[in-house]
Amino acid sequence: MNKVKGLLAAVALTAGLSTLVGCMETAGTVVTTDHATGSTLVLEDSTRLRDQVQVLRVNYDEINGLKRVHVTLASTKHKQLRVQYRIAWFDANGMELDPDSKTYRDLILEGRDAVTVTGVANSAAAVSSKLRVRDAAVAGY
Amino acid sequence: MKQSLFAMMGVAAAAMMISGCATTPAVREVALDRAPITSKIEPQDVRRTVEKMAESLLSAPGVKEATGGARPVLDIEPLKNRTTQHVDMVSITDSLRSQLLRSGMFRFVDKSTSGTDIEFMDSQAQLGLTDQKKAIKPGQQSAAQMYLTGSLTEIKNQVGRTVDQYYKFSMILKDLRSGELVWTDEREIRKESVKPVMGF
Repeated sequence: MNKVKGLLAAVALTAGLSTLVGCMETAGTVVTTDHATGSTLVLEDSTRLRDQVQVLRVNYDEINGLKRVHVTLASTKHKQLRVQYRIAWFDANGMELDPDSKTYRDLILEGRDAVTVTGVANSAAAVSSKLRVRDAAVAGY
Repeated sequence: MKQSLFAMMGVAAAAMMISGCATTPAVREVALDRAPITSKIEPQDVRRTVEKMAESLLSAPGVKEATGGARPVLDIEPLKNRTTQHVDMVSITDSLRSQLLRSGMFRFVDKSTSGTDIEFMDSQAQLGLTDQKKAIKPGQQSAAQMYLTGSLTEIKNQVGRTVDQYYKFSMILKDLRSGELVWTDEREIRKESVKPVMGF
């Protein structure tokens, strides 16, 4: 009986430690927009983030000959949420343009509020965009 | 007696393993967008600022209007650092120039390398190594029509153990001929740090 108790305690301790140190989830919500066809695809890879942040609207236009995308994100929670987003751009062959210069930016969503994030391609060759949203808390922020 | 000796040796060995023998620091590569570790300006702040400024400038309606659709020639004057900390402002303007050049909307000249240009032209003209029909003569370079510049400022407040640090990047694009500001934008960063109760 004591042996079983000890085994259970060891398993619980291992599980607790791995939760604390290892398995930080950085998957999030991805919104892909093809500016040529107008199609938009929303992928929600994190159930935690999906329950907190919804993609309300996706619009796109062109300014100074460069593609621009506007994505409206809405919080479903009553408390303040901290998320991060990054907008990447791709050419007609699906190659990411200038990947190193696109950074994650902080976004604070107040309770039940909606915020529109905007990204501008820095090349006329861009034809599609990918918005990636991740939970700032699980990304180590 | 023997048992206590073995125990002491075990403890000593364990203590050495834990504290002593590592001579090299643990180094690992981390994501460029990492969480802040100080209340100072950090690389991720610079990267975000450059990205935001580039996007703002590329999408500003006044820029296209001022250039009449042509690709204007720009120069960059490094941002003025009005903070108390050392920040490499030339590196920030270099990153911004790279992003703007990639857009294809602007052309750039660089007056900071003009001295080197003169050295090359002098050597082409005087050393006798260069075919003089192909040698680049002075007086043919493009003139900057506009220039980018700006500043970084800070406000620091401390209440008890809490330090509130505010930074503001301001940038302008100025038309050299008319003296008008074609574009301007700001990015604000605010950080808070709490000093530990114990320690220095």
